[in-house]
Amino acid sequence: MTRIACLITMNELVGNEPARSALLQVALAHSPRVEDAGAGRIYLDASGLERLFGDEPRLAARLRDAAAAARVEIRVGIAESRIAALAAARLGPGVLVVEPGGDAAWLAPAPLSLLDLPEEMATRLSRWGLRTLGELAALPTAGLFERLGGDGVRLQRLARGEDPRPLVSWRPVPLFEESAACEWGLETLEPVVERLRDLAARVCARLGAAGLAADSFEWTCRLGDGRVHDGALAPAVPITDAESVGGLLRLALEARPPRGVVEALTFRARPVRLAPTQESLTDRSRPAPRLLTATLNRLVALVGADAIGAPALLDTHRPDAIALADYSPSNPPPRRDSRPPTPAKGVSQHPPSPLGGEGRVRGDEAPALALRRLRPPAPASVTLASGRPVAVRSGRLTGRIVAGVGPWRVSGEWWSPRPWLQDEWDVELADGTLCRLAHDGSAWRLEGIYD
Amino acid sequence: MAIPIESSPPPGWEREGIDGLLGLFPPGRLSEIVGPRSSGASSLLLALIARITTSGGQVAFVDGMDALDPASAAAGGVDLSMVLWVKCGSRLRVALSAADLLVRCPGFAMVVLDLDELGPMPASAHLRLQRAVEGGDTILITRSARHREGSPASLVLATRRLAPRWMGLRPLTRLAGLRSEVSILRSRPSQILTLSPLGRGQGEGKAWTLDWTL
Repeated sequence: MTRIACLITMNELVGNEPARSALLQVALAHSPRVEDAGAGRIYLDASGLERLFGDEPRLAARLRDAAAAARVEIRVGIAESRIAALAAARLGPGVLVVEPGGDAAWLAPAPLSLLDLPEEMATRLSRWGLRTLGELAALPTAGLFERLGGDGVRLQRLARGEDPRPLVSWRPVPLFEESAACEWGLETLEPVVERLRDLAARVCARLGAAGLAADSFEWTCRLGDGRVHDGALAPAVPITDAESVGGLLRLALEARPPRGVVEALTFRARPVRLAPTQESLTDRSRPAPRLLTATLNRLVALVGADAIGAPALLDTHRPDAIALADYSPSNPPPRRDSRPPTPAKGVSQHPPSPLGGEGRVRGDEAPALALRRLRPPAPASVTLASGRPVAVRSGRLTGRIVAGVGPWRVSGEWWSPRPWLQDEWDVELADGTLCRLAHDGSAWRLEGIYD
Repeated sequence: MAIPIESSPPPGWEREGIDGLLGLFPPGRLSEIVGPRSSGASSLLLALIARITTSGGQVAFVDGMDALDPASAAAGGVDLSMVLWVKCGSRLRVALSAADLLVRCPGFAMVVLDLDELGPMPASAHLRLQRAVEGGDTILITRSARHREGSPASLVLATRRLAPRWMGLRPLTRLAGLRSEVSILRSRPSQILTLSPLGRGQGEGKAWTLDWTL
């Protein structure tokens, strides 16, 4: 006969690691099988503990006192099933033991909220007029299955105190750490990198054997003068690939090498468990996360972190208001209509090409004319005639203007400390170059070239 | 039964407009788009990127001169979230290194190296990129102002400005777009067996007239 003890605390354990750890220690000191159910709730297997701690009321009181000694206030319930033990802990006076065989009777008056139902299910049962577990337990199982499927039957079994799921034993997070002492001090960077890569390879092999990955890596170098040099890296996605980790490690150490003779090294990883995913056969291929992480880190080392990412438009009309968002490849469903989202315009409105020729774009496609930005915009000297630009001279291009339209005034954010306003001209130079000029009231700038 | 691969252009290559052009770019090979300022080369690039990203492909854009205008790209239908933009700050060697890293990262449907007027691309860099992209599914495209003789590119498209299009009559009221011509300057299949879109010399001289709208 299985007996389950439930420990619940009103202390907020989320983010309170010392209290959670103390409660786990209390549970583990009394039983080898302990389940951390989260949200301040711990179950332990109380079967066969009588010879160690006395009968169940004594065990429950002992658990409460041990937790109080660790400055964690708890309520304890013992029953045959988890749900009944939880109800005993929550609804009892603080320490309560449900007699063997009495789970269903104890649960009958308990509210349905004890089942932690999803909102949709709770609403549905409430509309049926159900308030207690006993009412749910009394429903005909076949009818419940017809209406709620397997979930309904599972909930009814819980309401009757039947919980077939075994305890999921808590296991301490294994420490993935490797250390090495150097027989003689390492004075240059290369041997330090190689030693750390060896340690990283061993840690990665252990991670792989445990079916885990790591989302952060740390290393510590003890220097000859007693100081400590440490560093860390956090790949964009959890990895276990020793080669990728080694590459990232090299980049990090080259960017911030230890300043002194290294006498001992330690490398550790923080493990995470990855949920297996099934790639789609129909999606387009995308870069493998591990390889992409390594490539992105190399690119960051090459161009800087502020020069790489996915382009994003800011919610403003300010010219060239852009940002770089984190690049995270995904596979959205392909749009059935591959046309650009901008409304088709222009092509069908214009006279047919005098050149005719084969392969003209169909009128419904409307490919967009690209502007090549100059960043920052190039200062320009513009000659005006009757208020219109007739010549431009800048570092990028110089020429007579043969056609132009403007000014198109754009302005905005007048309510903010950084208002902006400029007049824009689209002009064609004598050599055929199409470009955009802007005048902000004080100076002309070459904003970009149409291409 | 022998299948004459080299003489079999891909389905749709004779189609009109961008869709026909897109079919020309061979995966696993280096292609070039060359053309002077305001010839429509960048618009062609964005149109190709738009078609790749809307079909779910990832694109890496190595921007030699930081000239990409995301607003133009979005207007052209590019899904910006599917684009990895690497800004190289007008540094040629950095741009070449970035492109080299990206073509060695499988999974990108297209890698674009946009050099424009940044400078002549060394022949060794051409060869290195060609070697790096070989055997994969990535389309590698370089965009520069001029075609360099001796380039190992399998496909070279040249763009030429025909005429701007204005709206309004005396006075003009706004720039409506640009008409340009895209022609096949060179088509050279791989030396190894591959589903090259075009046979040696096939299609050279073929031209498309494209209207780009603003």
